[in-house]
Amino acid sequence: MKFVKLIFVALGIILSGCTTTYSLVSPGAVAVDSLTVQIGSGWNRAPSTQTRSARSNAETWTKDGLLLDRLVIIPGVADGESLLVSRSESAALPVFRADMLPNEIEELVESSMLKFFGEGNSVVSSEGLRPYRFGDHVGFMFEVDAIVSDSPRYRGLVGAFIANNELYILYYLAAVPYYFDKHLVEAQRAIQSAVLNQ
Amino acid sequence: MNTGCHRVLIATFLCICSAVLYAAEPEPLGHLIEPGYTPEDAADEQGLWLEIKEYERSLNQSALLVRQAELRNYIEGIVCRVAADYCNDFRVYLVRNPGFNASMTATGMMQIWTGLIVRASSTDEIAAVFGHEIAHYTRLHSLQGFRRLKSQMASASVLDLGLTILTGVPVPLGQASALLNYLAFNRQQETEADLLGVQLVAAAAYDPHASYRVWNQLQQEENAAAVKREKAGVFSQTHPNSEARAEYLLQYVSQEFGPADVEQVADQALLNILNNHYLFLMEDQLDTNRFGRTREILVRHTKLGVKPGLVNYFFGETYRQRGEPGDRELAIAAYTKSTESDGSPPQTFKNLGYLHLKAGDVPLAQKYFREYLEAQPDASDRAMIEFYLEDQES
Repeated sequence: MKFVKLIFVALGIILSGCTTTYSLVSPGAVAVDSLTVQIGSGWNRAPSTQTRSARSNAETWTKDGLLLDRLVIIPGVADGESLLVSRSESAALPVFRADMLPNEIEELVESSMLKFFGEGNSVVSSEGLRPYRFGDHVGFMFEVDAIVSDSPRYRGLVGAFIANNELYILYYLAAVPYYFDKHLVEAQRAIQSAVLNQ
Repeated sequence: MNTGCHRVLIATFLCICSAVLYAAEPEPLGHLIEPGYTPEDAADEQGLWLEIKEYERSLNQSALLVRQAELRNYIEGIVCRVAADYCNDFRVYLVRNPGFNASMTATGMMQIWTGLIVRASSTDEIAAVFGHEIAHYTRLHSLQGFRRLKSQMASASVLDLGLTILTGVPVPLGQASALLNYLAFNRQQETEADLLGVQLVAAAAYDPHASYRVWNQLQQEENAAAVKREKAGVFSQTHPNSEARAEYLLQYVSQEFGPADVEQVADQALLNILNNHYLFLMEDQLDTNRFGRTREILVRHTKLGVKPGLVNYFFGETYRQRGEPGDRELAIAAYTKSTESDGSPPQTFKNLGYLHLKAGDVPLAQKYFREYLEAQPDASDRAMIEFYLEDQES
């Protein structure tokens, strides 16, 4: 009997973390784990079934669909952890180290995006690394560009900071031409508003 | 059928095929088509050509294609020299991909990945890979494979239907067996392409001994890999494994062309290509985050004579990327060596600055940051570097 109960508890946990439909993210202050961001208009929160390589506490939002645009919020990446998850042991995902400086986080994002789009199927580059203050934390921002085989070209804006030895990262990635510019102002406002919850 | 059983079956089957292949004396191979070949009668072949042409149109627009004239001319020059009379049959597409691969379609569309250039120790080795691909084309291997698979899948479906009626369980045994056969058939074609490829390479006055050196080097890279691939790479899924291939090519080449020259001459053409395009070629490799493989390639480039300023910069990058205990010191040593040599890129100063900043040596970090901005005044990360300069000064 105990065993059956355990199965039901496990099923409940699994099912609660496995959403299958999009949900609305309403304008205002939105908490994502230990981060809060301000958004001026609504976004659509992608279900976990659509974002299989995302960390469990990360959220992916979109305006026009994941193929065209996405705003990704990844809170609290600890030392030794990667920005993505993969079931494959041969993926060679790059990992965050707490002593990383901005240039290394920039490379971590580049390499992670390359793994996300598919090693060999994409070329990811970045530029414009500059400082930016997220609340009490000095962080930085930069742009990315991703050329992907059999897919639109993507541009992106990344904001990140390290607090308590953990990495907090937010990025907006959208197809060019058109979609990147369409939601850039809104996405930039959301990224730049990110603060750690008190 | 479970995966383990499937693998045992495949392994047994391939062992039998390999034994047959190696035991047989290689017959002289010739081309099956004339230069300028186009399908005229067969509807299925014409259909295949149309499908490939459609794909080629989309490939032509890919932003991943390398457009630099020097690189394209170098690659196309090798293809044409090896192809000889067939030169005009081929359209060559150089694709930005750090993996090792080249492929050929029935229509003469040839794709070459930049990872092949990065891994070659000589132009002869690149020519050897191209010779192999050109042999696939002139032996009509794609068409043969296409037809064989089509007919086997059709008869296999009938077999599967019969099995399903008899057992009541839908078991796709026939189709699995057809695919297995197709795989084995491909490997036989690969061996044919290897042997004819060597003949083409030798006829074009490239060194035929390069044909097995390529596979030896790939094997060395696999051995050096920190993270092994779960699945075999694209090449090895349909090709004999590197070791077996190097072995039979060594035997064949030595028998046909005599022993290899003891003295290896520096390959200036390849060196120029690597020196002039090194940054983007190796940055693509570095982004794969595969330390062992990248290091193996850099060791080879050092021996080859690529500008030490470039190679040492990437040694620094690999150590910094790995970030294990002691790697910071190794990275600083490699970057410093780079700055003292020919070809060192401006980023070397920046990364030295960051590493000394981490190590707490602020004056030295400042020195390198200033040198970086002097060498690259329009750096896109100027604001970040200036932030650190101001931060340290305040």
